[in-house]
Amino acid sequence: MKNTGNLIASNVSAIALIASLGLTGCSTTAGVETTGKTSWDEEGARTLEKKVVFNNSGLKGDIEIVDAKSALAGDIMKAQVTLRSKDSDTIPFQYRFDWYDANGMEINSGSGSWKPLIIYGRESKTVQSVAPDPRGREFKLKIREPD
Amino acid sequence: MKFGIKMILAAAVIGSLSLSGCASTIQYGDAGSAKPLSTEFGSSDLQQIAETMVDSMISFPPMVELTSSRRPVVTVDKVKNKTMQHIDTESVTDSIRAKLIRSGKFRFIDRTTDAQTVEELKIQQDSGLVDKKSAVKFGQQIGAEFLLTSNFSEIRQRAGDTTDVYYKFTMSLKNLKTGILEWSDEKEIRKVFKRGTFGG
Repeated sequence: MKNTGNLIASNVSAIALIASLGLTGCSTTAGVETTGKTSWDEEGARTLEKKVVFNNSGLKGDIEIVDAKSALAGDIMKAQVTLRSKDSDTIPFQYRFDWYDANGMEINSGSGSWKPLIIYGRESKTVQSVAPDPRGREFKLKIREPD
Repeated sequence: MKFGIKMILAAAVIGSLSLSGCASTIQYGDAGSAKPLSTEFGSSDLQQIAETMVDSMISFPPMVELTSSRRPVVTVDKVKNKTMQHIDTESVTDSIRAKLIRSGKFRFIDRTTDAQTVEELKIQQDSGLVDKKSAVKFGQQIGAEFLLTSNFSEIRQRAGDTTDVYYKFTMSLKNLKTGILEWSDEKEIRKVFKRGTFGG
């Protein structure tokens, strides 16, 4: 009887293993997200609030967000994020910028596209984007492994 | 023991179900996906070109100055396609034009719909159906100040099992009055295909 119990337990884990293999076969990881939001301090100077979210622990070991900056070109906001590879190998990534207005509403929602990015071993690299129109005050950079 | 065999069967069924999830299905894909399927010109290449050109143009300092107080009128020239591929280059310039219009910095003239415009104006003027006060008269359109021109070229190299394709899209904004190129930029894309040992 004890034997049967062991067999059931190992079978259950086999089911879980096979099922998870099948599920991961086609999925893409969520990756890393960085946001930068423009605001003004008491003296009227423009500041950028930054936040980095790692949704994927695998990618967290590969890549590091070093810095996020923003500037204005006329009335249009530009964003720059510096990434650094923690790996000694060349790694391909994909990234995209989403833009939001002062109220946090996404501009041209759903129209962005992923861009390929190759980072060589231990290299740091910057990615840039320009807001689609003058409403853009907040950006979100998403990084993921290629699908 | 019998129960154990049942579990193995169940594992096989669940396993095969989840594995079959990847075979012969139809589903919606991400329109913004950057997955390359071949070295041919693809949707992601088009999106990368359009975004790079628009970002560059609307943030170029002289353009920022030019568009700070007015929205210049621009017309788009056909892309000179020097690649070996048949590419709907109008689709590339359409994407660029749409993004530039949505930036609120530029206005455009569309010469491809002139025949329909003339037809509509003729009806308004000559058919007697339209009130003369509201009928649009000929000769009131605004002339373009700038011409957006582009070149698209490729360099294809093949060595052994590797195919390397380099694309270059160059775009310029020409001042029609002075002939000066006020802005220009290029986007380069490299795609490399390596044939696998057992690949077809």
